[in-house]
This record gives sequence, structure tokens and C-alpha cells, in this order.
Amino acid sequence: MTSKQKRKIKNNLVGYSFILPNLIGYTIFIFLPVCFSLILSVMEWDGSRNPMVFVGLENFKRLINDSTFRISFINTLKYAVFTVPITVVASLLLAVLLNKKIKGIAVFRTSFFFPYIASLVAVGAVWNMLFQPEYGPINNLLRAIGIANPPRWVVSTKWAMMAVIIVSIWKFMGYYMIVYLAALQGISPALYEAASIDGANGWRKLRYITIPLLTPTTFFVMMMLTIQCFKVFDLIYVMTGGGPGRSTNVLVNFIYNSAFVKFDFGYASAAAIVLFVIVLVVTLIQFKGEKKFVKYM
Amino acid sequence: MKTNKSIGRIILYILLIAASILMLIPFYWMVISSLKLNKDVFSIPMKWIPDAFHFENYQIIWKKLPLLDFFKNTTKLTVITTIIQLFTSCFAAYGFAKMKFAGRNLIFLIYVTTIAVPWQVYMVPQFTMMSRFGLTNSHLGLILLQSFSAFGVFLIRQFYISIPEELCEAARIDGLSEYGIFAKIVFPLGKSAMATLVIFTFVNVWNDFMGPLIYLDSTNLKTIQLGIRMFISQYGADYAWVMAASVCSLIPVVIIFIFCQRYFVEGVAASGIKG
Amino acid sequence: MKKPIVLLLSAIMAATLITGCGKKDTPKEDTTKNETGNEQTENTKNDGGKKTLTVTTWDNDTTPQFSATIKAFEDAHPDVKVEVIDTSADEYNNKLTVMLAAESKDPDVIWVKDMGSLLSMASKKQLLELDEFIAKDNVDLSVYSGAAEQLQVEGKSYSLPYRSDWYVLYYNKDLFDKAGVEYPSNDMTWAEYEELARKVTFGEGSDKVYGTHNHTWQALVTNWAVQDGKNTVVAKDYSYLKPYYEQAVRMQKDGIIQDYATLKTANIHYSSVFKNQQVAMMPMGTWFIGTMMQSQTSGETDFNWGFATIPHPEGVAAGSTVGALTPIAIGANTDVPDLAWEFVKFAASAENSKTLAENGILSGIQSEESFDIIASAEFFPSECKDALKYTNYVFDRPLDENIDEVRTVLDEEHDLIMIGEYTIDEGIKELQERVAEIKGY
Repeated sequence: MTSKQKRKIKNNLVGYSFILPNLIGYTIFIFLPVCFSLILSVMEWDGSRNPMVFVGLENFKRLINDSTFRISFINTLKYAVFTVPITVVASLLLAVLLNKKIKGIAVFRTSFFFPYIASLVAVGAVWNMLFQPEYGPINNLLRAIGIANPPRWVVSTKWAMMAVIIVSIWKFMGYYMIVYLAALQGISPALYEAASIDGANGWRKLRYITIPLLTPTTFFVMMMLTIQCFKVFDLIYVMTGGGPGRSTNVLVNFIYNSAFVKFDFGYASAAAIVLFVIVLVVTLIQFKGEKKFVKYM
Repeated sequence: MKTNKSIGRIILYILLIAASILMLIPFYWMVISSLKLNKDVFSIPMKWIPDAFHFENYQIIWKKLPLLDFFKNTTKLTVITTIIQLFTSCFAAYGFAKMKFAGRNLIFLIYVTTIAVPWQVYMVPQFTMMSRFGLTNSHLGLILLQSFSAFGVFLIRQFYISIPEELCEAARIDGLSEYGIFAKIVFPLGKSAMATLVIFTFVNVWNDFMGPLIYLDSTNLKTIQLGIRMFISQYGADYAWVMAASVCSLIPVVIIFIFCQRYFVEGVAASGIKG
Repeated sequence: MKKPIVLLLSAIMAATLITGCGKKDTPKEDTTKNETGNEQTENTKNDGGKKTLTVTTWDNDTTPQFSATIKAFEDAHPDVKVEVIDTSADEYNNKLTVMLAAESKDPDVIWVKDMGSLLSMASKKQLLELDEFIAKDNVDLSVYSGAAEQLQVEGKSYSLPYRSDWYVLYYNKDLFDKAGVEYPSNDMTWAEYEELARKVTFGEGSDKVYGTHNHTWQALVTNWAVQDGKNTVVAKDYSYLKPYYEQAVRMQKDGIIQDYATLKTANIHYSSVFKNQQVAMMPMGTWFIGTMMQSQTSGETDFNWGFATIPHPEGVAAGSTVGALTPIAIGANTDVPDLAWEFVKFAASAENSKTLAENGILSGIQSEESFDIIASAEFFPSECKDALKYTNYVFDRPLDENIDEVRTVLDEEHDLIMIGEYTIDEGIKELQERVAEIKGY
């Protein structure tokens, strides 16, 4: 064995030793159950001691013909397409604004962060009140500025998803603002000082220093938001319950109902595989993009 | 030039204040609802200032719910889970960000993609497994389930990646082992990232409801969110009480946030990277 | 390799220390009980001490419906300790699904929340067959007047009827007096009911009194359509729903009932609407009797109220009602089947029926005697005793293996019709298509 090989083995071992504490727990408590349920996607099982039956791709074929699956798939995409970019931009801007040394900064940060920690039950209840079509403050405001027929929000199939999207952005941008704030701590003030000397204005500093240096964070935020959007459930559950009709029914609603209303665990897993594949593709793109853009590595 | 700047500042303030008010409306509503009579909470049109303040709502929920036990249980679960998650995530993140070993990218890819599998899908197999281990109806089981998140590893890794490689290289040349580099250089630099993870884990475990619902049977083990949900289910019409309970459950999270947020003000100069 | 593990260990130790400090003022044995709650239960089951029986309940703190029986059983069996696993009503079935899938020894006794889940648990072999026990102890099923047979799945008994609830029409006497209208009678058609509701609608703005109240449940329209027993909510042809939706939509349009969208968005609970005297009438289940009695006792409300038999469709005899049973069953993996059977037999017995009646609860056994006990309770509107009687009783939903799925569809289409997104015909058409998709018609 050459010393180079030895070094390689040693390096590997040291590397594994770092990930091991997490890897062991993660494998036992998360990875194994996940694998098991993914195998279920080619089975038929009702969650009892009744035997599992191998059905091949039958569950996936059923998915294609299921109108509720189609609707929840499209709803999920719609939700993600609006929520992800708006939240990324909003949280980045907020973080830049709140990374200044101004008075009362802690109060502002806390108030932007508040929606993230507030209990969903209360949040759902109050937003439904705000969106109330006849007496709600939002529509009162819209009428006051001259919109005669404001949307009926949560009691309209056309607008309910938009209402959910607004609340999602409101609730989650505070957290991603924090992530960005943490990342901004890593940018050396010297860079901004140098730019100021060169006569760069605020916009140019943002465009040529802040945004490029935050790329790894932006990838992370986009990635997490995408996953979160595809997994959205609780918020919709407390606001609209998937309604009116099926207009805010999303993939996880579908999965949940397949497992706990229909007791069709194989079918639920098949739907989860679809979700999994989408995220896998997005992740791979992200990996590629990260290698291309991140200059530090 | 100077007036320009101060006008800009005033506009910034006005914007921030307006936005803050918007953000806080639901919280304000929670607090005033908790001080109303149950029947007035949903009166239409909405009343932004109640006619009278009913502080006795807080006394009532204190009597109806074993809040103190719930707080203790939740604190125990949250603190232990957050600590284990923080440490194991930082180790693993260092491995993924700064070390090169066989299978690194594959393992990491698996980590990230499993984040995307909704818990509802593997809840049943996971519970069956935990039940065989005899870990259901115990805090230990819940702690083990929530302590090893792929999310935490991912989050910290993203921060470690942006720590300049030269810093670690220099330390290696100085003869520091990988553990030394981690403990002396990378770990201290990641404070703001760690604060982000602490907040995230803390909020999630504190507000988690489905986990305790499925795993805890005995009343003396139950958590605050579970308690509140049971309370809502039984006193569904008594919204003022529900809001009072929600306000109580929120306070510890706010404290943690205010404590953590000072890690976002120190900046690079204070934490020691000078290029 | 060692260092991180040492670090990890110290982290865990630190964590235990922190929580240890937080726990200083709690007694030591409390902590140990917390950690090993499970094992202790099983230990006591084996040793000669108190036997433990685990039962599952929902919303146990607010209603005496389970606790009264548990207490009576413990009094009669001093050597048995009943452990309660309580869950909120909304999540009860989900928790049970997960617990039963794990095939652990607990729970021993299961209160089944609805008949749909009885069917699914029985077909998944998660419940113990009771026929042998019934034969061995010569339990007379005729006391349930047919309910026990109706709960059978493929000719086998998996449960006994514990509670029985059906719909009645509640009314606010004070509001009727104010409007100068006579109280609802025990024999009204739905058309007469609507007529009456129009008469007791009065006032404006926030003082407006609505003639009657339809809560957001789909059941409060579809129930009346199945009242004649000719149809069920799992059907190939849903045109029979049309007249009832027409009535509901008409009453909403004319302001006889509160607007569905408002009730839904503001999450308004039916009990607060009735208690706040915003409505003169309200069709609701018999469980609300106990709620109202409790509210009068505590002084939360002090108006005069009563209830009448639910109205009936044209051509159906007065006193026909719609309702549901709450069965009680035994988990298939129980390690104490005999004790569990003892409990189930006790809970569904005529003797326990009286205990329940004292608490304002209608059990699976209805007799003149149990009605007398309920009617003699304080705050029960005693002149309404006759309204408790019914001549015919149909289930609100059939024992069908797809019932929960079909109900999801019914709820969604109900939503769309009531908020005015769909016309009644569009709603019924889509309902028919989607149910056909589920049932494979």
C-alpha cells in the first residue's frame, strides 16, 4: 500500500467520522422507514396484517387517471410557481434592509419574524376573517380604492389559492430573511468600503457584491422553498381544508387522504414517489448550478 | 447629499413601520381575542378594540389545562432535540462541506431528497418500527426521531461552503487535524448559521403537533401544542380561551428568537475572518 | 474518530443536565414514570396486582360519555385500573389507524367513532370477533332493538352499540315568544318548517334573528333526503338530493339562514350561534341536549329552550329521524381479551344505560325508564320528553366500505353549491361522476 493510498483511506475515515453521528440516527429513524414506504408504491396494502400484494406499476397507472390527483398536482405547481420566487426576492430585500445599523432594528426583525412562529390555528383563523368577502377588512379596503367587485378569496375557487399563497409568503419570508441575515454576516464590510470609494451606489453594491456572494444561500433558500411548497399541508388544512371544492387540494392532501381515508398506502406512496422525483430533478439542477456559480469552492 | 440620505432614511422607516404593522396584525388579533368574551371573538364586523378586557380568560385556561406540565415536557423535548441536532448537524456539515471522501455526494444527495418525502407517507412504517423498539409513548422516542434531520445538515453545510478554503488549508499546513480545524476555526465561525438552525429546530419542535399526537398516549407526557389542540377540539366554540392558550405557547419561542438574533448583528469583523 | 463521539456524548450529557435542572422541583419518581410509562403498564399486567385495561377515547375531558362508564366499571371491579388514551376528536381515527397498524397490545378496548371506521377496522381484522363471547354469556341482543344486528359486518359481530344519537329540532322559546309565533310541533313537514322559519326571522343588522340555522355540514342537507329510507348517500343517482338543496339555497338567499360562506370563513361553531340567540331554530343531534343543559347549569345561558322531533318529508310518518350509533369494540391484539369483553359487556349493558342517562346521554338501549331519567334532570325542558321518541330511525350514512371517500366528495360538492360556485344541477352532476369513479359504477 502506498502512502498515498493510506492517506486516502485515512481521509475517508476522518470524513466518515464527521458524518457518522448524524448518519446513524438518520439511517435508522428516517431513511429506513422512507425506503420501506417507497417500496410500498408497487404494492397494495391497507395498513393492517392483511398481506401486501405486489401490483407493479398499477398504482402509477391509477394516478394518471385520477382526476383528484391531476387537480392536486396542478394546484401544487401553481402554489410553488408563485410562492418560491416572491418569497426569495422579498426575504432577500428584507434582509438587506434589516442588515443596517438603525435604531429599533431588533423590533423590526422580530416583527417580520413573528408570522413564522405564530401558531397556525390562530393564523388561519385571522386570515380567514381578513379575507371575509362581505365584511372583511381587505375587501373593504379594495372597495374603498374603487374596486367594485373584489375577489371572494377563500370562498371562491378562482381566488382561494391566491389567498393561501399570500399567507404563505407572509408567514415564511421572515424565516428566510433570517437565513439571509446570517449569510450577510459572512460578507466582509471591506468589500463595501472599497466599492464606496469607487463611487458605487446602493443598487450597484447590491447587484455586484451582495447578490453574487449570497448565491450559495439563494440556492439553499430556493431548494428548501421548493421542497416546502411541494410538501405544503398544514397551512391549507387550517385555512381552506382543500376547498372550496378541490380548488386548494394539494399533493400532500391527496397523499394524506389516500393513506388515512382510503387506507390505500401503496397508492399514497406512489403519489409520494412523483413528488420525490420532482424534487430530485430540482436538486440535481441545483447541484449543477451550485458548482457553476459558487466561487468559493 | 446629506438631506437626501436622511429623507431616504425617513422613507425607510415609514416603510418598515408600515410593513411591521402588517406583519403583526394577526398577533395583535390573537392577543385582543384572548381578552374578549368567547362569543365576541368572531363578531362581524371585526372589532379591533374590545369593549372590555377579560383577563380572567388566562386564569381559566390555567385551571383547565395542566399548562405547567405541558411546558416542562415541551421544554425538555425541544432543548434536547435542538442540542443533539445542532451538534450532529455541524459535524456532518463539516464532513460534507470541507472533506473529500468516497460516496460523499451520493450520501448528500440522498439526504437532501429525503427531505422531500412527506412525513405522512412513512409515518406508519416508522411508528411500527418504533413500537417494536418499545419507544412509543416515551419522550426518548420522539427525541430520537427528530434529532437527526437532513435539513440541519443541509443548512449548516451551505454556510460552511462559503467559509474560504484557504483558511482551512492554512490551518492544515500549521499541523492542525481536521477535528482541530473544525473545533477551532469552522465551528466558531458558524455562529450565525447555528443560530438560524437553533431557531428553526426550536420553532418546529415546539410547534410540532402530529409527532406528539401519534407518539404520546399518557397525559403526563403530552406537549403544549397537543394540549392546545385537544383543548380546541373540546372547547371549539370557546375561541377566546383557545387564543389565550396560543399566546401562552408563543412566549418561549419569542424569547429564544430575541436571544438568538444578537448573533445576526456582530458581523464579520467581530467574528474574526479578515480574509 | 474518538473526538466527535466524546463531543456528542458531552452534548447529550449537557442536555440531560439542563433538563435535569429544570426538573428540580418535581419528585424523582415522576421523572422515571415519564420515561418508562410503557413498560410499567405491561409489568402490572403480568404481576398479581391491579390489572390494567387500556381504552381509547376522544375529547374525554369535556363530556361524561366515556368517563361515566369508566368510573362505574372501576367501582364495580376494584382490581382493575382503566388507562385512557385520549385524542382530540378530529385526529382520533388517524391515531387509531397508526396504532392498530403497529399491532401492539394496546389498546384493549376501542370506542369506534363512526360506522365507517368500524367497517374498515373489521375488514382489516383489527377487531376481535365477539360472537363467541356473546354466545358464552348469553347476551340478549334484542335489548338494542335491532341496532346490534345493524352493526354486524358480513354476519359477524365486532361491536356492541354504546351510544345512539339522532337529529332533533332545537328552538329558542324566548325568540318564538318575541315573534309571537307558536313553538314547532313534533309533526311538521320540511315545507312547514321552512314556512315557520320565515315567520320567526326578524330584526336587522347585528340584532337580526335568523329563523333557523344550517351548520356547514353536508349532513344537514343530505340527511333529510335519506330520511325516507329509500336512498343512501352512496348512490348511483343523486337527483333525490335536489329538492333539499333547493330548499337550503332558497333559505340562504332569502336570509332565513346565515350565509354559508360567512359561517365557513369565520369558523363559527353552531353552539355559539344558538347560545347567542342569533337563531330561533336549529336542527342538530341529541348530543346537543347535554351541551345546553351544561350551559344552563353553569349560567352561561339563561334563555328558555326546547326541542321537537325533526321535521319529515312529505309522505313520511312523523317521528322518522336520522341518526348514528357509537359502537364499542375490542382490539384484535389485546393481551387481556376476557377483561376487555367484561368491559364491553358492562359498557353496553342496561345497567350502564341508566348511568349514562343520568348524565344526559342516550345509550344504545332506549327504554321508557332511561327517557324518564334524562327528563327528570335539572335544566332538561321536561315538556319536550315526547320529542325524544321516534317511530323510525335510519342511519345518516350506510355501512359501505367507501363511505369516508364518498363523504369527502359530498363535502366538497356541498361547499361548491352552498357558496354559489356551482348550480345545484352542476354540483349533483359532478357528485355523481366522482362517486361513480370511486365505486366503479
